[in-house]
Amino acid sequence: MMKKQHKEQPSDVVSQLKRVQIPAIIVGVAGLGVWFLGAGSGTREQFFQTYLFAFLFWVGLPLGGLALLMLQYLTGGKWGFLIRRMLEAAAMTLPLMVLLFIPIITIGMLDLYPWADPAVVAHDTHLQFKYAYLNPGSFVFRAGFYFLIWLVWTFFLVKWGADQDRSGKPAITHRFRNLSGVGIVLYVITMTFAAFDWGMSLEPLWFSAIYGVIFIIGQGLATFAFIILMARLLADRKPFADFVSTKLYHDLGNLLLAFAILWTYMSLSQFLIIWSGNLPPETPWYIRRQAAGWNEVAVAVLVFQFVLPFFLLLNRFVKQKIQLLWKVALLIFIMRFVDLFWIIMPAFDQTVLEVHWTTYVAPIGVGGVWLFVFLEILKRRPILPLRDPIVPFPVSEGTKMQEVPGHG
Amino acid sequence: MKQIYGVMAEFEHSEQIIEATRRVYEAGYRSMDVYTPFPMHEIFHELHEHRTWVSPITMVGGLTGLVGGFMLQTWTTVIDYPLNIGGRPLFSWPSFIPITFECMVLLAAFSALIGMIALNGLPQPYHPVFNVPGFERSSQDRFFLCVESTDPKFDAAETARFLGSLGAQRVVEVEA
Amino acid sequence: MQAGNVAKLNEQLQSDPVLAPGHTYGSIEEKINTIPLPLTKRASKGWVLGFSIAFALLMLLFYSLGVLFARGLGVWGINNPVYWGFAIINFVWWIGIGHAGTLISAILLLMQQNWRNSINRLAEAMTLFAVACAGLMPIVHMGRPWLFYWLVPYPNTMAMWPQFRSPLAWDVFAVSTYATVSLLFWLIGLVPDFAKMRDRATDRTTKILFNILSLGWRNSSRHWHRYEMAYLLLAGLSTPLVLSVHSIISLDFSVSIVPGWHMTLFPPYFVAGAVFAGFAMVLTLVIPIRKFYKLEDFVTMKHIENCCKVMLATGMIVFYGYMMELFFGWYSAHDVEFFLINNRFFGPYAWAFWALMLCNGVAPQLMWFKPLRRNLPLVWILSLVVGVGMWLERFVIVVMSLHRDYLPTSWDAYTPTFWDISLYVGTFGLFFSLMFLFIRFLPMINIFEMQLLRHDQKHQVEGGFGASEEA
Repeated sequence: MMKKQHKEQPSDVVSQLKRVQIPAIIVGVAGLGVWFLGAGSGTREQFFQTYLFAFLFWVGLPLGGLALLMLQYLTGGKWGFLIRRMLEAAAMTLPLMVLLFIPIITIGMLDLYPWADPAVVAHDTHLQFKYAYLNPGSFVFRAGFYFLIWLVWTFFLVKWGADQDRSGKPAITHRFRNLSGVGIVLYVITMTFAAFDWGMSLEPLWFSAIYGVIFIIGQGLATFAFIILMARLLADRKPFADFVSTKLYHDLGNLLLAFAILWTYMSLSQFLIIWSGNLPPETPWYIRRQAAGWNEVAVAVLVFQFVLPFFLLLNRFVKQKIQLLWKVALLIFIMRFVDLFWIIMPAFDQTVLEVHWTTYVAPIGVGGVWLFVFLEILKRRPILPLRDPIVPFPVSEGTKMQEVPGHG
Repeated sequence: MKQIYGVMAEFEHSEQIIEATRRVYEAGYRSMDVYTPFPMHEIFHELHEHRTWVSPITMVGGLTGLVGGFMLQTWTTVIDYPLNIGGRPLFSWPSFIPITFECMVLLAAFSALIGMIALNGLPQPYHPVFNVPGFERSSQDRFFLCVESTDPKFDAAETARFLGSLGAQRVVEVEA
Repeated sequence: MQAGNVAKLNEQLQSDPVLAPGHTYGSIEEKINTIPLPLTKRASKGWVLGFSIAFALLMLLFYSLGVLFARGLGVWGINNPVYWGFAIINFVWWIGIGHAGTLISAILLLMQQNWRNSINRLAEAMTLFAVACAGLMPIVHMGRPWLFYWLVPYPNTMAMWPQFRSPLAWDVFAVSTYATVSLLFWLIGLVPDFAKMRDRATDRTTKILFNILSLGWRNSSRHWHRYEMAYLLLAGLSTPLVLSVHSIISLDFSVSIVPGWHMTLFPPYFVAGAVFAGFAMVLTLVIPIRKFYKLEDFVTMKHIENCCKVMLATGMIVFYGYMMELFFGWYSAHDVEFFLINNRFFGPYAWAFWALMLCNGVAPQLMWFKPLRRNLPLVWILSLVVGVGMWLERFVIVVMSLHRDYLPTSWDAYTPTFWDISLYVGTFGLFFSLMFLFIRFLPMINIFEMQLLRHDQKHQVEGGFGASEEA
């Protein structure tokens, strides 16, 4: 009975996904449309600046998904089994992100990156020095290389996942580990330089060696928050509901907490070192981000992305109840937006906090389209891996998870 | 009549002790304790031991350290002995973060440890259960269950008979 | 899920058990406890030989310290630009080694990695002894070490307070907190095992001694319950603590503006390096000990392999740090930073840099391959290579940045003297003397946790899907 249902897609999960999918595409298309039409109201720069911000946020989910997918293969955590398909689906949206990246490297680059403008470079010896790295040609080439690596790894991870669904061979688990081991190394290197290229070089004279790590941790944090929201969506839908337990939520809650702590640790390291050094090439980055209005944004990010979730997530009661946990995850997810906004937008010569209205619609538009594609991919495949050898029974038989007595 | 501390039963297998604990608790005994070589969650569950005061105590200790550490640095550098060092502001809160954190961890760790020892009533070099011959094996491979005489339902003979019926290897009276 | 299934699954996934089959609660306790007990038994010849060597080195340490105190810091090779020499290198190196102990005992506990159980006691002891060696270094580097207590904030007749904006004051708090909490963590882990030693001992003196040490622990479940909670909380506290300690040590360097030191990546990069060196030291110790005391059942190939994997992972992070150093040396477009990179490649200490690349960059790559991870002699040699590599890393950071600073007029070379080296070698004496005493007199594997592991194996809480809840 369950078996049959599973092969034709578990309708319960699918109907739930569909419920979200339709509004997502409507909001997405509407958002992008309004953003596009509204471009005339602001400057051309603002148009692309908000777009870059939206892109950098949403590209974090496919890349975070890819990284966590490899991480769960490597660590072998049981939490990985239940969210693996979601991570895969997130990673599989990468081709969409390639498409969305094209406007940035074609028409937008000159408006975004000072080093792309030969007139600016001609008057700046530092930029001339860095020209070997910061020039349009190598920027595009590197981006192509990053995407190629990510796409190749996504392709094999997903393909082998499907192979294991069919054959259930434990040997595939081995291959996963090897592929993920190499993949995570390449991901960290490519993502680091992608963060330098796409984000840090907006202020080409400024540099911070931890910038890439902050981006990577931020992506992980956003992805975990997103996955918890997805788990909330599917929590009581079969067959997902048969496998989730308080244990999964507890693990996800702990991982969310760990990433929130890591984010704070990395951000604080950067701040403390630059603050103490107090050197002219470095401090302007923070001075711009402490200007009128921006300072309050920074405090809000610290309080709502770290302090408040920290105390909430210390509590086992919150971690084990998805009805509570998803609210914390939503808070963090929203604060990821604000944090990235604080990191990216002051780069564009803002002396005070200015929020152009396209800042809202661009991320919503991109996000709506992304979510639609993500859900479409997710719903086309079984929501759980069918024959992973770490699970002692094939999932399609619909065996119920036994609860471990005496805990909770 | 000679004073006794309670009645102790010895079990050979971990399954037996879990079952026995459940049965004894269900029979209405509350003043009881189980002695095992290692912590067993199943037993905590059967004894209905859920929350402990250890975590709140640790929390209070940690917060005290957090606030105290920060106040110490602020008071000494801003109020008690203000001194311009490297042109940095007197209230250099970013540089106070590391010590604040260390103070928090230090006090929290001490609170957790001292809290646990105090709640357990340790150190207690002598205890009546040590009088039971062969009790050393509670450190090795045996499981003991003791119903204490302070329990209102306690009756030396009746309780001993009940424990014996649970599959105990032997049942002995524990001298006070 | 049945026990048979797990065994089959392990076989399919080609993974080793964390505890060899065939043990009972009693046999675990007996096997581990009879290594130190009875306390009065004759030590083995190997132990006596090892301890004698370690003790001789300890005497060398005392002699070096005596010379240092009598004649002052001038006996060392430190000079005007290179104020920080061997002492700071050794300090960072030793404390880094200690970090693996905390990582194994705390972080792996939180992550429910039960393979930690058989090596955590040894790793924690390693932490304590390494921190003792480390703590010595900055104190003797002070010139007037007898005034070290001036660094502690207490009301005094000078009406002065420590300089809280200085990372050196942060160090005092970080290292002392770390030493204290590690000691508490280690001792609290020993309490139930002290009780087990009391119960195993046959003579009255030993019984009384261990009854005092165990606080009269009587294996009560109500006690176990609070005990587990406290242990878990200490683990939860130790985890951020260990990150903070090496981060603060990295801030000693990075909050300054010395070329090569002022890098925002330093905190995580130092933490990874510490764990890297620490796991190497764990392997250096564990491989001979498990052979010598026949502990292959408790410290299985799985432990060795997992340690290798952690070494590989942290080694890659460290290597990432090197890459970033080089990249930003160039990208900063700062001539002094760029000159430093040049010096690393071609300067007077380039040999140290290239040796470092070999030890920490190239050598750990062997750990990618499973057959090599299971080759004990190779792993042991590699663990030594990594230990050397991590020492060289600190040498590169400390000496190379200082010897050619912003002002070319004050450049000077640094050459360690005999007393620099003898002090460093002497700390091995301290470390290994304590280690030998620990192995001889205390249970080096956490007995109750191994019994718990056996219990979980039997009931298949572990390894089954959905698996064991944390305490």
